Amino acid sequence: MTGLVLAPRGTFEARVDLTGALPGDEGLAKLKIGYGGRRAELGELFEVSGTVDGRLTIEGGGAELDRVGAGLSAGEIVVKGDVGVGVGLRASGGTIVVKGSAGDFAASELSGGKVAIAGDVGARLGAAGDGSKRGMSGGVVVVGGSAGARAGERMRGGVILIDGDAAENAASDLIAGTLAIAGKLGRNAGRGMKRGTLFLRSAEGLASGFRDAGEHDLIMLRVLVRRSQELAAFLGEDAGKARRYAGDLNIGGKGEALIVIR
Amino acid sequence: MILNGVEIRDSFAEAFPMVGTRLIITADTAKWAMIAAKTMTGFATSVIGCGCEAGVEREVPAAETPDGRPGVAVLIFAMDIKGLKSVVPNRIGQCVLTSPTSACFAGIEGGDAVSIGKALRYFGDGWQISKNVDDRRIWRVPVMEGEFVCDHETGSVTGVGGGNILILGTSRGEALAAAEAAVDAMDKVEGCILPFPGGIVRSGSKVGSKYKGMFASSNNAYCPTLRAQGPTQLPPEVASVMEIVIDGVSEKAVSDCTRAGIEAVVKLGRDKGVVAIDAGNYGGNLGPFHFKLREIMS
Repeated sequence: MTGLVLAPRGTFEARVDLTGALPGDEGLAKLKIGYGGRRAELGELFEVSGTVDGRLTIEGGGAELDRVGAGLSAGEIVVKGDVGVGVGLRASGGTIVVKGSAGDFAASELSGGKVAIAGDVGARLGAAGDGSKRGMSGGVVVVGGSAGARAGERMRGGVILIDGDAAENAASDLIAGTLAIAGKLGRNAGRGMKRGTLFLRSAEGLASGFRDAGEHDLIMLRVLVRRSQELAAFLGEDAGKARRYAGDLNIGGKGEALIVIR
Repeated sequence: MILNGVEIRDSFAEAFPMVGTRLIITADTAKWAMIAAKTMTGFATSVIGCGCEAGVEREVPAAETPDGRPGVAVLIFAMDIKGLKSVVPNRIGQCVLTSPTSACFAGIEGGDAVSIGKALRYFGDGWQISKNVDDRRIWRVPVMEGEFVCDHETGSVTGVGGGNILILGTSRGEALAAAEAAVDAMDKVEGCILPFPGGIVRSGSKVGSKYKGMFASSNNAYCPTLRAQGPTQLPPEVASVMEIVIDGVSEKAVSDCTRAGIEAVVKLGRDKGVVAIDAGNYGGNLGPFHFKLREIMS
């Protein structure tokens, strides 16, 4: 194992706010972090080992670990387990790999880099945080499991791929960007969508403001699958034709839901 | 220097810096990619009269293009970046956007950015869609045929314009045949274009004129019919001269292209009516790039 390694000293009795625990920080053990209602040194909760080389591994993980990789701009964080809320919050670069599941607000307001979560995520994946107007604006998020409600809410850029299902109100008020969902949609997907693209397997679950615009041979698909490994894996390397649903027409939106024809 | 009976004159091509870019134009078929590319690079022989110099660089196999369809690489050169930024979106807008099934992509990274979709998206009248993937933005402009897809912008490079060779032949037909052989060989050199019709200029020019306002005029010293009426560069056996002008993305590309052309002409030899190979220059004081024929062939 190389890079810095955080190993929990025991079970956590309160939520742990890992804001500021980033791969390039030499003084990580002395970093003051939130632990329940108080501040604690990170070294009090985790055994810190290894050397600074741009990588940070969190052994074990846990649903109490909030804001892992928040504000990350470079380097790599690997969590060998679950994380709590706000993984990758407002990160602008680097890579975060979560080998378990994540809580709400994963990749919220992400502007660059990549977040890969092997399991499920909670509500508001890539969405705007409370009090914010806009969600994720760039970067790539890959979810191996399913997503909770309001995935991609008010996102305005970047790419989110969900291998599993997406609960109700996915892509609600989506401003721009790309959200791909391989599984089933909850109700009301794309409600209030202004622009942007949804890649879906079926139109079932789309909000009422979407209208069928027919089947098309889209050159754009050929470009996307050649420029994005993630989209190539999702859409298929030979993607070309898709059925296009325009919406949300109820608000004059110019977004689209594309169902790639295989 | 005499090669296969062909005199390589102790002369040099005098060339100038130009700013250029490469575009990859694709279409459903190689035929339509080439039609778009040829149309887009039409009327672009000389920057003096056309505002730019452009031409087809090479065909690009489908496996190498951004959308997996057959493509053509074109190069466009202007005197400065301002000129390039003006002509590129104009030409794409009129000649590629309009051409059936076409798409247009950046072919050079780095340098000053030159707009493609950044300018052309407005044709979509608000219905245009951008997709930003892998830090590259593409535009989808709805058109009657479907969608025109293009990159947001392309890069640019400082290249070399005005490399040239002159082929002195014993007849018009032989001079042209030699020039055609040269063009066939020069077309294979990457990073270069030969912007004139079929790659060949039959009316090489000198700087200036007796007439006010004319920047260039017929190069009378190389006009065979004027041999008796003033200083001439043509021996009695020369009846026709063809020029090949070369623009390239680098000095090396122009030099390689020059050598490929001379080698092809020399291969034909004196027996096929080639008397000499010369080059056009202005005395060496105007252009910073000097392509000395004998050095290139040594």
